[in-house]
Amino acid sequence: MHEAVKDWLTQCRDKLRTEAITAADLDRLSDLLAEPRQQILYLYAKSTNMRAPLASWALYDATQPQTPTLPSADPPYESVLAAVADGWRVVQFPIAKLYAYEGQDNDYLGYEFVLEKFA
Amino acid sequence: MLPIKPTLDDDGVMDFIASGLVVLESVIDERFNRCCDDLASGNCDAFIASDNFTYQVLLHPQVAGVARSLLGEDFLVPRGGHHHFFKEPHLGQTWHSDGLSGSGYDVFELQCYYYPHSVALADGPTMVLPGSHCRAVDREAIAHYGDIRGQVSLTVPAGTVVLTRYGIWHKAGPKTNDRARSMIKFSYHRTAAPQRDWLCDAAEIPAYRDRPRLPYATEVESYRDRVRRIRTWNWLCGIDQEVALRWERSQPVSELIKEGTP
Repeated sequence: MHEAVKDWLTQCRDKLRTEAITAADLDRLSDLLAEPRQQILYLYAKSTNMRAPLASWALYDATQPQTPTLPSADPPYESVLAAVADGWRVVQFPIAKLYAYEGQDNDYLGYEFVLEKFA
Repeated sequence: MLPIKPTLDDDGVMDFIASGLVVLESVIDERFNRCCDDLASGNCDAFIASDNFTYQVLLHPQVAGVARSLLGEDFLVPRGGHHHFFKEPHLGQTWHSDGLSGSGYDVFELQCYYYPHSVALADGPTMVLPGSHCRAVDREAIAHYGDIRGQVSLTVPAGTVVLTRYGIWHKAGPKTNDRARSMIKFSYHRTAAPQRDWLCDAAEIPAYRDRPRLPYATEVESYRDRVRRIRTWNWLCGIDQEVALRWERSQPVSELIKEGTP
């Protein structure tokens, strides 16, 4: 069993000796039992180097209501490495072979890192 | 009515080549802006083809002057278009280019946005990505992109017209209020062969003077942008030819020898 739930049980048993369990206690248990949900962060670096500055970014956060938020000119991190230092895990690295060096035309933004965090 | 006169000079055309857009703020008369207040959302071909819209907007000297500069003589004037109308808050559209656009380096179509009302950031303004007009992409494959360095929210005063090279990445930005936001979209097209017949001081065609690199471009992309801008400039001047980057701060050895050595 989850350690946090064990702690909750211990606390509630102690509490029951002197008072009743409340709705707030049950809400806390509900939070403890909730499955963590994945957050996805796309970061477009200016090279495949994880220290490279970012060209673009997009956060998809299923833990929050999907409401409009105004655009921002400021990236959430300086680099992919800074995001990793803040607890994000890389789940996809840019694949060099996808960036075909053919001709002289630009197309998609590069280089796409996909990161995840659970909340 | 007098013939339409070009309004852009060499530098104006070079700026457009780099950014893909020209913004003309508050050029349309406020009395005409108010004529758009009750326009229904969606197709508005009849409204755009009306004499009033044609003369107040489409043939406005500044608006048509840019079209004349970039599309040459006897360009096609739109006879239809679309009214993009938003009122309720929304997440915003996803980044996209319209239709089968984005490839090549020519200028055959100017897609225009006319704003009869002022637009603030919370109104969900059109967002554009300057310099993206020649990026050939599948529009659905960029739908997950979020904020991009250098993106521009077109927060503009009433009566503004924005002319873009067809293919520029754009979207309706996130809207956080209930205020009505209107944008009327239409396109001019080229019929003439390209030539340097905009405002020119001298007959000799100058070399393209490069503009700053785009904030979102990688190193290799900025080199590609530079080549593409020169190709577009040459194409618009009617001297379409192969382009190779040259080293401006170098000189052929034969010239140095002719100049004599100490």
